[in-house]
This record gives sequence, structure tokens and C-alpha cells, in this order.
Amino acid sequence: MRISLNELNATLKRSFEGMNYFVGTYEDAAQMVSWLEMHGEQGFGELERALAYVNDEDKAPVELLFEDASSAIVDCHGRSALNSLALVLDLAHAKALKAGIATLKVQHCHNRKFILKLLADCGRRGISMMAYWQNGTQPATEHVASISAGEQYPRYSEAVLKADCSPLEKQTMTLICSDRVNIAAQLMSSPNDRVSCRSVEPATFAATGLATLESGIEISEALWQTFNQLGEKVLVENTEASRQGAGGR
Amino acid sequence: MINPAVIQAELKGPGALALRPASQVMDLERLGSLHQSRLSFMRTLVRRIMRERWKIEAVRLELDNDGYGTVVYRIQTPTCLYSFVLFSSYLAPEDRNDRVIATQWDLTMALCEGEVDEAYVEQLRQNVPKQEAGRVDARVFVLSRANRSARNFDYVVDQLASGAQPDLKRISQVGYLYRTTAVYGSGKLGMADWQKVAARHSDFARPFAAEMFTCFMLRNFSLTQVEHIAKARAPEQAVAMQPQIKRYFGIGNSTGLGMAPYLINHPLLISRWIEMRELALARIRAFGVPGTERLARFRTLAARAHQHTVEIVTEDAWQTGKNQQVIEDLAALKSHLAGQPLRDWNSLIAWAEQHCSLQGQEMVNSILLEVYPDLVDELEDYTCVGEHQDLAPGMSVSELKALIEERYRWALDIDFSAPRATETFWYRSQEKQEPRLGGSELDCGRAKQMPLGIGLRVVQCYQGLCDYAAQHPEHSCAYFLFLKPEYRGIVRRIQSLRHSLYGDIQANLLDQDVLPMHLLRCKLAFFGVSKFDPRSRLWVRNTMFQGAPLLDDIGQPFDDDWFLPLTPAIDTEDAR
Repeated sequence: MRISLNELNATLKRSFEGMNYFVGTYEDAAQMVSWLEMHGEQGFGELERALAYVNDEDKAPVELLFEDASSAIVDCHGRSALNSLALVLDLAHAKALKAGIATLKVQHCHNRKFILKLLADCGRRGISMMAYWQNGTQPATEHVASISAGEQYPRYSEAVLKADCSPLEKQTMTLICSDRVNIAAQLMSSPNDRVSCRSVEPATFAATGLATLESGIEISEALWQTFNQLGEKVLVENTEASRQGAGGR
Repeated sequence: MINPAVIQAELKGPGALALRPASQVMDLERLGSLHQSRLSFMRTLVRRIMRERWKIEAVRLELDNDGYGTVVYRIQTPTCLYSFVLFSSYLAPEDRNDRVIATQWDLTMALCEGEVDEAYVEQLRQNVPKQEAGRVDARVFVLSRANRSARNFDYVVDQLASGAQPDLKRISQVGYLYRTTAVYGSGKLGMADWQKVAARHSDFARPFAAEMFTCFMLRNFSLTQVEHIAKARAPEQAVAMQPQIKRYFGIGNSTGLGMAPYLINHPLLISRWIEMRELALARIRAFGVPGTERLARFRTLAARAHQHTVEIVTEDAWQTGKNQQVIEDLAALKSHLAGQPLRDWNSLIAWAEQHCSLQGQEMVNSILLEVYPDLVDELEDYTCVGEHQDLAPGMSVSELKALIEERYRWALDIDFSAPRATETFWYRSQEKQEPRLGGSELDCGRAKQMPLGIGLRVVQCYQGLCDYAAQHPEHSCAYFLFLKPEYRGIVRRIQSLRHSLYGDIQANLLDQDVLPMHLLRCKLAFFGVSKFDPRSRLWVRNTMFQGAPLLDDIGQPFDDDWFLPLTPAIDTEDAR
């Protein structure tokens, strides 16, 4: 079936609200998923794989472990990027405004690919940002995404590493942020430890997004039902008393 | 087209015009006192249709003798082609229900991109009549449904079939043949997203333009349908309706709470709508001279407003009282204008603020906008705005605190510890996700309420912020939100609205005595409706497009003078 972006965002907002994400965070989380899907980067697949982690009420809050004038280390304590990265990027943004450029190391953060939508926001707000992370073991992958100040779409590269390569640090991410320097990062073309590499240019993201808007977003009925069921937690049972609040008074 | 920089300079900066303050304009009761104006979306849409001479024709009119069947209109604008597809079905009287929870309607319809072929009409037929239970695709812009007016439809058919015109006294009681109960757009049920419509279809790239057009088409179909049924019933005797009576028929609308959260959830957009209306008024105050012609026009329109208000019929005692006040206000205005020469419009507005009810004051303002199309109409192109709410993480907590104290004094002054202050809560029901209001009578739901109590959220954030700022006054908001992520949404809203003149409605929407009717009326006034007929404090009937041109009028001279229409004089042998 096909759904609209508006439907998707509204439904995902309810889903994340149902997981007790805060106001402000559940809107971000919904748009982080829909941005990936809309721009051809399998947002639904990422979310399906992440469903076990995104409901992270029981996890400790995001914690600032260390900082100096231009750098910081942040621990997400196993939270999903959907429920933590926006805060972290805001911190990077604030530090860059003061220091000119800021470097943050993010630890124990799941589903980091969802950062792409937040990078698009950074560009629109006049900030340049780069994110680098490695992921998985069989096979391991590495990723870099960046955006220049004033741009609407990021540049993204993903490489599959050879079998004997495994990430030194799991669930980490490195962020570099600046309001003075445009950071345009891309994985190098053919290092010896890579099986394959692909890059997506901003223009490709823009074209994919337009095409999706034109025809709607394809989703399986089962997954759509899952999203809707997750959102049912915010709906109130229909009773005769509640009907009175809909016009019967 | 005017340079946007001029508008920005008029809104802000050293050369800015004197706009009314947010404390006055964003008061809930004043927002609930607004009337239609030249900038209302129906008005701007009709101006576009008439000036661009849209070609609208029924290319398929398959109705049986009772008016049931399928109709397709082809709409050719200067840039694009659209189709309006309508399904008319029998509905038992006992199944006729205005509530969102209804499942069957007399009419269902869709506004579509491009031409529709038979296969696509079939696809629509399988889904459009089901409304929320169906699915459409991104070729559809708007989906809607409507029910026949039990008081008017059969009566009008009977009259026409018997060779007579409808009695205008009766029509003035209820000025429509159908009443819409929902008009969906912006991506609901699989439809095209607003981003697509705005980017690719300039004809409908203004707020709610496609939705308003759907209602305009429905109104025109309703007139075609009654004539069709009358003629089928009495081919020799039936007559067509006189054009001036046709124009007096609008389309009914029934609006409930579903419209209210929109005003809270789109503060940047609402601020922009109000900025344009207020800028129009400020331009008139700054540049308008009440010379002979303008003053005569004002007097004519004030007299029309008086008669229009006299003609409004509602059973609601509260609304009747408000209307009566407006009638008295306009009578007083007439005396005031007769008593002394008018130096400038500012003195008239000041007089109205001293002597008239809120609805009377806003009526004077709407009339003023009508008198100055040259200062007002160009603002219709600026009712859209990007709705990104961006956090300013580098703002210091001290700055944020000062910002709240400056812009949200109205919220800080509310005593939320008072028992009635948080009695009301807004929530979504499992039944079609219908927005509803709850109170102490509802033992569940409070924990699932929608975050529409902006005042309370600001105060809670402010309290947390004061504690934090006392310890870390030099910190930026990013650090505060790191510790208090629960305030991220409200801080982002506050910061995003700091560049807007208006935005947040200055009222406690959680108060036990809150009147959602004000929210509904505010949005409906921006749409351009009139004749508000509240059925409770939670839903209202009203009339759209009454007095608007007919499809047959497109291409004819047009003076855009259908503001506050009056009952027409019927062309009868008696009258002649």
C-alpha cells in the first residue's frame, strides 16, 4: 500500500509518543525515520531492525562524560539515535558556536543512520556537520555523512568492510560541527580493507525525495499495522462518557 | 507583485507599521470574534478563479431521476488540469449523521490531479464513498463528504418541480442544500502531501485552497442536482432556479473539535495568517484617508453588515446575544458617523474599541479591509510560511528566561495550581482518533492528553529554567535540555516563535471554562465562513460561499463584492 508523508509522520509520532518519548523528541524521531524512507535509504528497514531498541524507557538518560572548550564525550547508554541524537547535535551546535569548531564522541548509541535527517536540519540552520561511524560485524560497515551550511541535503557514503575487519568501537559515532568551516566528508574510494563502497550525493537525495512525494510512500500493510498499533497507546478508550466530550454536551 | 522585503520592513524594524500587539490580537475571545474578510481563503480563491477565468465543465453527468449517480467535472486553469469526481448515493434518513464517526453520506467526492479515465473513476468509486475506511493515492488532493439539508433539499426540489422558486424567507433560515461534515487534504488517507501540492500546483499553493475549492464545487453541484431532480420529476412544469437565488445558496459546514488542535500545532502558520490580516489593518490605519468615496463605501458596507447580522438565524442563545450586540454596535456606529466628520480611520477604530463588543470591533476591521482592496489584496500571496521549528541551542538560559518573561507574561500570570485551571484535557479517542475534551467526569484519559496546554507547559519549563539559570546563568539551552529533555519541545516552540509577531493563543486551554468555540470560529473566519450557528460549545454549523459567483458567472464581469451577502430580492411577477 502507499501512504503519504503526512500520514507516516503522524502515525510514527503517535508510535513514539506511545513509547513515552518526550514532546519535541517524538516529532524528531518520526521525521528521522520518514526522512530515510523518503530519500531511498530504507527508513522502514532500519526501524524494523531497531524496534527492540527504540523503546528505551528503562535506559539511563544521555550523559555528558567529558568536555572542554571544543570537544566532548557523550554516552547514550544504549539508547536509540531516535531518542538521543537530537540532543547531542544541539550540544555540538552550541559548542561550535562558541569554539568555531567542535568534536564530539558519542558512545553506546543505536540506529545511527537516522542522523541523516538531523544533518539536513543542520545545513538549513547554517551549520556544517560531519558524522562518522562503523557498524556491525558480519559484515562490518562504515559510514560518513556530512552537510555544508545552507544546504538542504547531506552527502552520504557507506562501505562494506572485508570479513577480517571489525570495528574497534561498537555503537560509537564521531561528530565534527562548525559554523565557520564547511565540512564535506566522503569515504575514500578504494582502500584495501573494503569490499564495496557507495555514495549518495545531495542532488540524488533531492530527486528521490521529490519522486517519493509525487507518488507516495510504499509500505507493507503489516508494517503499517504495526506502526498504528504502537500508536494506539495514546488513544483513549471510547465510552459513552467520552462521547460527551465530542459535541454532546 | 509586491517585493517580500517591503512586507518584512512593514512588519519589523525601524520603519515597521503599528500593528496591534499580540496581547490584544491573540486573546482567545477576540480570535473567536473574527469575521470573514478579503483575505479569507474563500475570497482569495474566488478572486483567482474569476481573474484567471478557470474553465469548469461537467464532462460526465450520470444522475438518475433521484439525483443518484456519478459526476465528473473537468477544471482547466491557466497552468493545470484537474478533475472533480462526485458520487451521489441514497442515504436513509436515520443514517444521516454530521459526526466524524458516521460511515455513510449522501455525497462523497474527490479533487484529483489531471484527467480521470474510467478505470480511475472505478478505483475512486471503491474508496471515496468509504471516506476514512478507504484509501486513495497521491493523485487526489482532497476528499470530502456531505449530507443533504433535511430542512431545505426536498423543499427546494418540490418548489422547482412545481414551477415555483424557493421562498427566500425559508432559505434565509438555512442557506444551503448540503452540509459538509469533513474536508480532508494534506496527505490524509493516502492523498497528495501539501508539499507536493504547494510545489507543483500553484493554483492550490495557498493554505486550504484545494479544500475550499472542493466546497465551492460541491456548492455548484448541489444547485445542478436540485434542478436535475425537479426536471426529472416534472419535465413540463419544472423551472430553473433564478441566478440571484442560486448565488444566495452557499454550502453548509459542520465543524467540531478536530479543527482546534490545528491552531495550536501550527503556530508559525497561524502567526503568518494573523500577521497579514493585522498588516492589512495597519496599512489602512497608516495610509488610508476616509475621503468621500471610501467613506461612502464604508457606510454602505456597515449597513450591509447590519442587515446581514439581522438575517442570521441561530437557536443558540449565546450566539444570538453576540449577534444582537453586533447589531447594536453597528447602529451606534451609524449614529457616530452621522454625528461628526471622520478625520482618520484610527479614530474610528479607537471609538469602536471603546464602544463596541469584540465582535463589533472586528466587524469594523473586516469592513475596513473591504474598503481598501488596493492595500489588502496583494497580501494574499503571503499566507504561507515554512513551518520548521528550530531550536537555538546557543541561546543562553538567561536569554531564554528573559524571552519567556517578555512573550509569555500571559502564561506566567495564570495560577495553574487553582483547581479549575487544569480541569480540562484534550485527547484522541480510539473512535477514528476523534479529538475530544475531557474533565473530571472522565476517569481515564488524562494521562494520554495531547500537549495543547501551551501556557502550562511554558510555566513548567520556566520553573525548571529558573532553578537551572540560578546555578548556571552562563550555560546555553543545549546544556539545560541535556538535563531536562522533557522541555525540548516547548523550548523549541518558544524560540521558533520569537521571530513571529503572533503565534501562541494567549489563553489557558485547560481551564474548566474554556470555550473551544472560539478556536473553531477563528479558523473558520480565516476560511471565510459566515452565519455561525453553534450547536454546543464543541461544534458549530456555518455557511460557506454564500453569495459567491456561480460557475456560469466565470468569464463575466466580477466586482468581488460578495462580502456578507444579503437575502436577494426575488424576481417574481408580484414584484414586477
